[in-house]
Formats: sequence, C-alpha cells, structure tokens
Amino acid sequence: MDYVKAYGELIKKTAGSHPLAARRMIYAGLIEELIRMKIAPKKEMPQALRMLNYQSVRKVYQAIRHPENSCWTNIFAPVEIMQCFGLDCVSMECLSSFMSGFMIEDHLIDTAESEGIASTLCSYHKGFIGGVDSGIFPPAPLSVTTSMVCDGNINTFRHVQQTKGVPSFVIDVPNENSAYAMEYVTGQLKDLISVLEDVTGKKMDMAQLRRRLKMENASKQCYLEFLKEEKHRFYPKTLTLELYLLFVTHLDIGSEDSLRFLRLLKEDVKKYPTRTGPNIFWVHLMPYYQQTLQKYFNYKDDYYIQAIDMNLDYTEMLDTEHPLEALARKMLDNIYNGPYSRKVEKIAQLVKELESDAVIHFCHWGCKQSVGGVMLLREKMQEMGIPMLVLDGDGMDRRNSHDGQIRTRLEAFLEMIDQMEEA
Amino acid sequence: MLGFVCKYAPVEVFEAMDTEVGRISPSVVNFNQADTLMHPNVCSFVKSVLEEVIGSDYEGVILTTCCDSVRRLCDVLRDQCPNKFIYMIDVPRKVNDFSSKMFTENLREMIRAYEDFSGKKFDEKKFAQILERKAEAEKLRKAPEKEDGPRIGLVGTRCSAGVLNILENHHAQILFDMTCTGLSRSFRCGQEDPLGAYAWDLLNQVPCLRMVKASGREKFIDGFKDRLDGLICHTVKFCDMYAFEYSELRAGAGVPVLQAETDSTAQSEGQIRTRVEAFLESVKKPEIGKKKRTVTRTGSEKMYVLGVDSGSTSTNAVILDENKKIVAFDVVRTGAKSGESADKVLQNVLDKAGISKDQLAAIISTGYGRVSIPYADENVTEISCHGRGAHYFNPAVRTILDIGGQDSKAIRLSETGEVVDFVMNDKCAAGTGRFLEMMARTLEIDISQLGPISAEWKENIEITSMCTVFAESEVISLIAQNKEKADIAHGLHNAIAGKAYSLLRRVGLNEAYMMTGGVAKNPGVVKAVEERIGSKLYICEEPEIVGALGAALYALERV
Repeated sequence: MDYVKAYGELIKKTAGSHPLAARRMIYAGLIEELIRMKIAPKKEMPQALRMLNYQSVRKVYQAIRHPENSCWTNIFAPVEIMQCFGLDCVSMECLSSFMSGFMIEDHLIDTAESEGIASTLCSYHKGFIGGVDSGIFPPAPLSVTTSMVCDGNINTFRHVQQTKGVPSFVIDVPNENSAYAMEYVTGQLKDLISVLEDVTGKKMDMAQLRRRLKMENASKQCYLEFLKEEKHRFYPKTLTLELYLLFVTHLDIGSEDSLRFLRLLKEDVKKYPTRTGPNIFWVHLMPYYQQTLQKYFNYKDDYYIQAIDMNLDYTEMLDTEHPLEALARKMLDNIYNGPYSRKVEKIAQLVKELESDAVIHFCHWGCKQSVGGVMLLREKMQEMGIPMLVLDGDGMDRRNSHDGQIRTRLEAFLEMIDQMEEA
Repeated sequence: MLGFVCKYAPVEVFEAMDTEVGRISPSVVNFNQADTLMHPNVCSFVKSVLEEVIGSDYEGVILTTCCDSVRRLCDVLRDQCPNKFIYMIDVPRKVNDFSSKMFTENLREMIRAYEDFSGKKFDEKKFAQILERKAEAEKLRKAPEKEDGPRIGLVGTRCSAGVLNILENHHAQILFDMTCTGLSRSFRCGQEDPLGAYAWDLLNQVPCLRMVKASGREKFIDGFKDRLDGLICHTVKFCDMYAFEYSELRAGAGVPVLQAETDSTAQSEGQIRTRVEAFLESVKKPEIGKKKRTVTRTGSEKMYVLGVDSGSTSTNAVILDENKKIVAFDVVRTGAKSGESADKVLQNVLDKAGISKDQLAAIISTGYGRVSIPYADENVTEISCHGRGAHYFNPAVRTILDIGGQDSKAIRLSETGEVVDFVMNDKCAAGTGRFLEMMARTLEIDISQLGPISAEWKENIEITSMCTVFAESEVISLIAQNKEKADIAHGLHNAIAGKAYSLLRRVGLNEAYMMTGGVAKNPGVVKAVEERIGSKLYICEEPEIVGALGAALYALERV
C-alpha cells in the first residue's frame, strides 16, 4: 500500500471542510519525515545531502508552523534583505512542490481553477493559489517578489493579496541592465527596507547585510568547487535533492546554515569514487516524481546529472561594499533576465566547463519564458555537437505528465548517447 | 511598415520619422511554424503574430516587454528575421519618476537604433506636431451610434475580428473595449520635454495587468456600472493574465461576466459562438417572434410547436401543444451530416404526433447545428434552452450539469428558470460523452454497458490524465497490467465526475441539481457525480430531450 498516497487522500478529504485540520496533518507529516531522517536516514545518501534534506524539510515545516516569521517570495527575490529582519523566505514554488510531495496537488490546482484561474497557468502558481485560498497555507505577513523571469508573479501575489490580505511588494526588474535600471532597482530595494521596517518594527542593519553577502560569495565558491570535483566522481544524488539545492543557492543563500552545508558538500564529494559514464546537464525544473526519471537518475551513475542551470543563474561574486547595488545587479544580470541568448551563452559555457556530454531540457507546463526559447537552445547545442533532449511535462502536477511518453523519449535518447560514446 | 501589438508601443515616435506603423491583427489558421520555432504551450496570440510576421513583408516589429511569451517571440523573430527591425522596448511595471526617466531613456535608445537601421532622423518638433494633431482628432471623434441590443464591456486580451462580428451581428452595444489596444491613448501637448511627457503619458494609461498597480482598471469599469448589462472577458489559450481578472470580476463585479477563450486563430469565432450568444441571451432575453410563418390550421384544431436540438451525438425533437404538453418526442443519432438527421428527426416526430409539418406554428432550433436546420424559424443557444427545459421538468432545479457529446456545461438558474450563469468546458473533449465513447471502444465494450459494468468495481483505480489522448494510453497501459474492466470504467467515471465537479463549483453549488445530456443515462457517472456533490441529481426520463423541449417552449412564446 502506498502510505503517502493514502495520507494525501485523507488530507484532500479533510481539506474541503476543515482546512486547519488539513494543515495540521501536513505538519504532522513533515515532523514524521524529519524524525525518520534522524532515526533511519537513507543509507545511500551522502552525509552532506542528509544535512540538505533535513534543512530543506525543516524550512517548509517552519513556514507552515510559524508563518509569522516567514516571507513568501519567488526564488529570485533578494532574500538576504528579508533575512536581516529575521524572516525566513519560502518560495511559492517550494510550498507548491511540497504539496505535490503529499500528493494533494490535484486538489489545490482544481481549487484554483474553479475560481477561474487559467488552467494553462504554471502549476506551481495554481498549487500555491489553491493552497492559500483553501486555507491550507497560513498567510505570511508579507510577500516579496520580482517581476523578472516569470510574468505570473505579479498577478499571483496580487490575487492572494486580494483573497487573503497578504501585502505584496513587487520589485520591478527591467529587462536589461543600465545606469537608469540600477538606480530604479536600488531605489525599490530602499523602499522594500522601509516596508520591512514597518512590518517587523526592526531597524535595517547594513553591516549584517554585508556579512551575509560575504557568506553568499563563500557559498557560491564552495558550490562551484563541488561541481569541478563532481565532474568525474559518482556522488549519489536524487532529482529531489537536486531541487533542494535551490534552498541553499537561492531561498536561504547568505545564511550560516547554507554555507555550512556547502562547505561540507565540497569536501564530502572527494570521498566518493570516480566514474566514467556520460555527464548530463539539466535545464529547468525536474519532475521529481516521474518513475522513469527516478529509475535512471536517483543514486545511479550510468547516466549522471551534474547540475541544473537554475542553481547557476548568477555565478558572479557580489560587491560587499555596495550591498544594495550588488543585489540590484544580481537580479538585472540574472541569466534568465534579458534576451534568451544570455541563457544560451551561459549554458554553453557551463556545458563546456563541466564537460557535459548531453543536455536535457524539461518543458514545465505553463512556463512560457523557458519553453518559448527551447529551439534556440537546441540550435546552439547542435552547433556545439551536444545532443539535447526536450521533455514535456509538469514539475509537480502528475496529471500533466505521462510516464510512458517520457520513458520512450528518455530511453531513446540514452541509447543515442551510448552509441555516440561508442563511436 | 512596422507592426506593433501592445498599447504601450510608442507608435507616434515612428510616425514622426515618416514610418507607417500598423497594429498586427493576425489571421492565421494554424501554428505549423510557430509550434516548431517556439513550443505549442506558448500563448496562442504570440504564436499567431509569429506566423503572421514570418509570412508577410513587415519592415520590422516593435514589441514591448509585456509578458514572457512576447519576450521569447522577440528572441525567435530576431533569430528568424535578421534583416528586419525587431525591437523590444522595456516598459517598466511601476509608474514613478525613476521609471519614467528610465522609460524616456529607453525611448531615446530605440530612436537611435531605428535611425541606424533606417537612415531616417527623429525630429522632436515634428513629433510634438503629431501629438497635437492626434489630440485634435480625438476631440472630433464621434461616439458610436447606439444600438438596441445588450450593453457590453469588453475586457481581457485583444479579440479577433470574428469575435467582434458575433457581437455586431447581435446588435450588442460595446460600451468600452478595454482589451489590449482597445482604448485610445491621449497625450498632453505643448510640453517642454515632449518625449519625457510622452513617456509619462504612455505609462499612465488605464493599466494593463502586467503593471504592478492595476486598480485603474476596476475604476474604469466602475464608471460604466449603471449602464452595463454584462462584461465579456476574452482570454487566449496560454495567456494566463486575464483569467486573473476574470476570477476577480466573477467574484465581485456585480454584473454578469462571461469568459470567452479562443486560440486567436481565424476559426476562433466558431469556438466561442455558442457561449457568446448564450451570454447575450442571458443578459438580454432573446426576442423571439420577428419572422412570420403560415400555418394551416382551422379554428378548432390544436396548436403545435416544435423544438429541435441538433447536437454532436444526437439530434432530438419535441412537439408541444398549446398547453405545454409534450405530444411527441424523438431522438436520432447525428450522422456525418447534421442536415440529414434533422430531416429524419422531423419526420419521425411528426409521425409520432400524427400531425403534418404545416400544423406547426413555430419551430426553434438549438444545439451545435442549430444554424444549419433549414426548416427552423429561429435559433436559440442550447444553454438558454436547457434552462427552460430543466425548469419545465422540475422548477426546483437551480443547477444543471449537461454532459453531451462534445460539450459539458454547468448552468445556474434563477427561481424563475432564467439562466444566471454558466460555464463550459474548453474545446477539447476531456470530460465529455466523446471521451467515454473513446474509452469504451478501447475497453472493447458498448458505450451503454460502461455504466452497468462499473457498478461491479472492486479496486479503486485513478485515471490521472483528463486529456482524451493521454487517458487512452493510460487505459491501454491499465489493460496491459490486466486490470479489470469494471475497475477501469469506475476510474473513468470518477475522472469525468471530477471534471464536472470543477465546472459546477465555478457556477456555485446550489440545490436542486439536474443532469441532462446523453451521459446522464450512464448510472456510473451519475453515481460518481452525486458522491462528489453530496446531493442527488434529478434526471428526467429522457435526459437527451431537455434542450429540444426548451426550444419548443421558446417556440410557444413566439406564437
């Protein structure tokens, strides 16, 4: 019997009439998971990743258990500033994803769609809206999001502001960097600081922000060193853990926890044996639940996923002397902001540096900014002689992905890589 | 000519350089190129613009950073049309001094780029003159002549000509068109810094939903509240922005709102005709009885009327007498030609009633094929007809679930049986009778057996895909796993019920419920829906004739 599924069914049954009870069932589930991780951790999971696993689940637990200390964001928001006010950032994609982990995403998405929200909207947004409007997610005191990369943010957060009264602060990030754009974004970061001072009653501590940016730089350095070392080693990972890295590269970057983990990660990888199988670079989200992908990639080294581009969307070091300008630049120069060619060039560079043999691009349902340019990336990879597979599906809604279709495409692609290796 | 698509496009700047600028109004029938160059799941409007621009001789296109699909359109156009002027101007989402300054600078950069491309020069004086001329022209603009039909406000994304045609044909009065490029822009003249003032005015239009503050939209609609019969919110497949507005308007606009979703192809008109017509009927009752027909009738004879419902699966007919009593009804399968089955059902029902066609005082058609029934005097949409029919059978009914061959709809009725609200499934076959037919075929059982078989289920199987094509392969793999037909059928019924439930939730769950349409004959689906809504479904003896009966009731009104 599938216990997660049965528990999910129970939550769904409860959610309609008793959202608070459903919420309690969710944090009971998260506590159970945290305890299980401590008592009986997965044997094949490396030490550093056990730490990541625990930290990530704990973050989400905290956001649901103590909403008063959290801030809803997207993954590109300047979380470092919110951290200075003692607020833990949790992205709506992450909250949604965890509900998919409980197998209740269909209920939340249906709730959003029954309000008239477009069925073609990104599933993470729909899941989040459904979770908030059905009363499962307790409201945070504030949401802080950016306009860049995903055009759904403004409307999604405006919607929950209207339905549940969560004030939304949007940082409008221009498409291209310029002196005017820097001034515009930095000005908004100053506005954000005053809003946060009002909401929390605390004063901004710029020295703390500088310290956080220093830790952020050190964290990035560790991750890049890990990737260098990982190129020829078998470090057993899973799709879910690859996504959990988004906590330390985005939502919690600039924290001591993240730095501690990444330091451990770069040392931990050195303990693992070398391998020779093909290196795969993954672009965009991962449908962590898909059986075929789990079968080929979780703790396996025949075909090894090195990294996803999302964890490497801004690899430059931050100017700690000018923290607000540094954070403004970080958003403006993100590889997903501006023309698609910026992303193509960065992926091309990473594929070269990481000696990747192939690229898999996942087209997540409703994500126009990524799927709209996929042919341009394919052209570039063709030019570089790197085979690329495009998979269609959904990062969290099981109803939008068909395992049979993914299996055929993936297996044919892996056979193709094998033949290329042999030749 | 340069093309543009967005209301924030700085058209006047190019006009000041003697360049013709035209709004791109794509009229494409397929996305053969766009699906390859982009992806099928990109906004259909953007795909149609891509098809249009590639296939025509625009000098270039002026885009704005209005949404993600347009950002990618710009990337693909630059790649495909290296010799054209493909320019994307960054429009800030906040309106303040900083953003206006930045936007002015963005305009200057765009001007430089076009000067380099075309060899033309921008003349600020001439630009100021153009703004003045436009302001004068705006003053002279006459208000459109008033029509007698329903007063409608248009919101959402830009409508194709086809959609506007339907409104025009129904004499709808469009009070305002707030869709993408619908409202005219006004600019201040005689400013010291004309470009800076222009940038500020462009940013200060009635906002579109990409802007951080969009409350100006609500205020604009509020200004028309006293005159408005209804709002039509046009949305485009894979453009999600305006569905947010639809959701908000539904919750609190205080006037009826219809969401009309198209894929912005030339065929769009057909996709939404029924729902737009039904909406117009619901905000302003159809005026039946304009045309006269000659009836062979002596003084003592009874009067009869006929309602015909030409659906995708069945064609149904009902004859009523003047006392609203059903004299006869008939149901035939709609074959490949709806005209033939319409003739057949007419003959059958006349035979059953024992009367001749000349004795019919009025004939009203409804259903998908309602416009192609030559012998009908007039037509009314199946939504209004279902409302009438349901009220006739059971006046307590407030919510109707109609699952037909290719449509499923939820209709909310008032106490008097008027349609208050309705929603329909999108154009794919998910959750319809056709879906069940295909699944029955895959299971190699007759469609009529699907319901009874499912009663014997033991294992709870979940069919996750609602897409007919995906679900079929899911069923095939269940068959391969040697699952029982009863369990699969039960799973399919639950999937349909789930889809129906979300439709019902959108119009509001109000008792009593009635189910109509061919699928109401399937006890498995009925049971699954009843479990979902926690209430009984009222089903009349012949659930397929409710629409035709409603049409006959309309026919009675006209005599």
